[in-house]
Amino acid sequence: MKRDKFFSPWLFLILPLLLYAIWVVIPAFYTFFLSLTRYDGLLSPEFIGLANYERLFSHDTFYISLLNNLRWVVVFLIVPVTMGLFLAILLSKKIPGARLFKALIYSPMVLAPVVIGLIWTWIYSPRSGLLNHTLTLVGLQTLTRGWLSDPDIAIYAIIFAGVWRHTGYVMLIYLAGLTSIPPDLIEAARIDGASAWQRFRHIIFPLLKPTTTIVIVITMIESLRSFDFVNIMTDGGPFRQTEVLANFMYKEAFARYNMGYGASIAVILFLIMVIFIFIYVIQRREEYGGGEKVV
Amino acid sequence: MKKIIIFTLAFCLLLSFGVAVEADSLDGELIIDAYTSDPAPRAAMNEMVETFQEMHPDLDIELNITAHEDFKHAIRTWLASDTPPDVFTWFAGERAEYFVRNNLIRDITHIWEEEGLFDLYAEGYQRESIFDDKAYFLPHQTYIWGVFYNQEIFADLGLEEPETWDELIEVNETLKENDITPFTIGSRYEWTTAGWFDHLNIRINGFDFHQEFVTGEVPMTDDRVVKVFEKWKELIESDYFIEYPASYSWHEALEYMEDDEAAMYLMGSFIHDSATDELSEKLSFFPFPAIEKSPTAVEAPIDGYMMPVHAQNVEAGEEFLRFAASVEGQQNWVEDVGRVVPNPNVPEESYDEETLRERELIDGAEGIAQFLDRDMEEDFAITMMGYLVEFWENPEHYMDILERLEDERQFHFEQ
Repeated sequence: MKRDKFFSPWLFLILPLLLYAIWVVIPAFYTFFLSLTRYDGLLSPEFIGLANYERLFSHDTFYISLLNNLRWVVVFLIVPVTMGLFLAILLSKKIPGARLFKALIYSPMVLAPVVIGLIWTWIYSPRSGLLNHTLTLVGLQTLTRGWLSDPDIAIYAIIFAGVWRHTGYVMLIYLAGLTSIPPDLIEAARIDGASAWQRFRHIIFPLLKPTTTIVIVITMIESLRSFDFVNIMTDGGPFRQTEVLANFMYKEAFARYNMGYGASIAVILFLIMVIFIFIYVIQRREEYGGGEKVV
Repeated sequence: MKKIIIFTLAFCLLLSFGVAVEADSLDGELIIDAYTSDPAPRAAMNEMVETFQEMHPDLDIELNITAHEDFKHAIRTWLASDTPPDVFTWFAGERAEYFVRNNLIRDITHIWEEEGLFDLYAEGYQRESIFDDKAYFLPHQTYIWGVFYNQEIFADLGLEEPETWDELIEVNETLKENDITPFTIGSRYEWTTAGWFDHLNIRINGFDFHQEFVTGEVPMTDDRVVKVFEKWKELIESDYFIEYPASYSWHEALEYMEDDEAAMYLMGSFIHDSATDELSEKLSFFPFPAIEKSPTAVEAPIDGYMMPVHAQNVEAGEEFLRFAASVEGQQNWVEDVGRVVPNPNVPEESYDEETLRERELIDGAEGIAQFLDRDMEEDFAITMMGYLVEFWENPEHYMDILERLEDERQFHFEQ
């Protein structure tokens, strides 16, 4: 009996673990190795120590990308998270048409980011796009511009498309979180005379804490790995001003064939993400004391 | 004794007959990898391989067509493997040379000699296929870059194709007076700006200087390079281009021509594939006007074939190259895809009026530039094109931009 208990989980795990090793763990270590080499994808990798990292830390594109990733994180943590929470609370009430609105707000999430990127590229098109056209119609001609070609605003124009998609996602997670709050708690507070704000501030929001943790971590990761929107809408242009780490890495590895250098960008991106994943795991541990329960 | 002699003779005859038969009919597997994935080139490639198959019925031909960009990634892995294709499509010039430098490509000088290509193919093709006096590349088809313009607008305003810089400026001014933007361009993906750089550089400093420039040995702050940017700045600051070019991909910028809001586009002849039929009919082209040098060099990226060093079926592969060098192997690319081909024996009737003019320009050229990202190491060319877009946005800061580009050049070529 005892032996069974020990072996049978491993027996079941062996296949997934093997696949995981082949497709995730080994390539990850291989990337670490590649980051220490010069490799053009043609001849075998040549070991060059930390030279790729030295170059990376003195490369201005790296700092432009890092700064843009930071912009993503900041905007993403503020706009979609607050809007998603607000919409979730609003739409969890029994108001007419709530279902319809939920579906509408969530619907961008169903579209592939590439498609969303394309749609927004059309909206932003200075010549025939919806945005400049509408601005001209309502007499705000002075505001029209090349949204994706103006180096100062292009990155925010892209982030906005991301926000449009992400808000529905956040809303959905909060809606799920709200259903786990016992209605009698809120009812009791109401009877005790707590105002709507007090109920939110002291009951709903604290009870939503685990959900908020998930939302923040997902938002962080989502904004760090932002690649698709940038790649489709500007490909980092005009002149690198909208570059983000993921797209920078992709171009170094697959357009310029600096595989080793690309790998070093991947490693840095990975290390930044690990910080957030760690925070997330520790949070979950504290909440469930040992991680018995899964999300 | 007699019997033995007759027997031996008969045997020899049989043997030689057998050998003769073998030489005529190739067998085994022939693997051809190609990037001709757009509809028209794909059909032409299939047709070409079918014709070759009919000539060699015993040959088992496997044609793999991969999308252009994917092909560029994958070919590196295939070439480095033990089982590369026997023949693959590739680009002339520096991109071909890169593989040659790494000893991955088979020397095909003997094919060039036997097929008489050294005499047959124009000088420009040879410059892009021969490295260290050995031929490694078989040029197969090309298309020209030039100024494509709306003939209707030109006719309405009484304009003629400009042949000099001053004439070009005059055309631009007349167009502007009539509320038509002279040039459209979409530079979201940056490479279109390189077309302008190439043409300005070739016309101001000459083809030989351009060839030197693309090796990466000329400083960006060299007077001759600076001069290119000064001329270019004049054009941008005179508003001869559409607003916000970096907002558009190259074909989105075509809308300006479709709506008669812009009159010209410096582009490759593939512009016809993306233009509406209505616009395509109105389009004609002229070579980029002379500035300080007469327009004797052209920009025409050449596509062709190479054989990996480790090709398995060398005999069949070489036979395919011979076929690709022949009139039969090239003609359908002229008729069906509108390309210009290097074999001068392809009859004039196969060409239409415009492509025939392209052919005359290419065959008469002192040199054929392959486009910046094919002539220069691709890694650096991509960097440089980013700076070209920055220059376009801030032409007044050209010296600062060139100084930073010079830093990049030193880092790249002197590391």
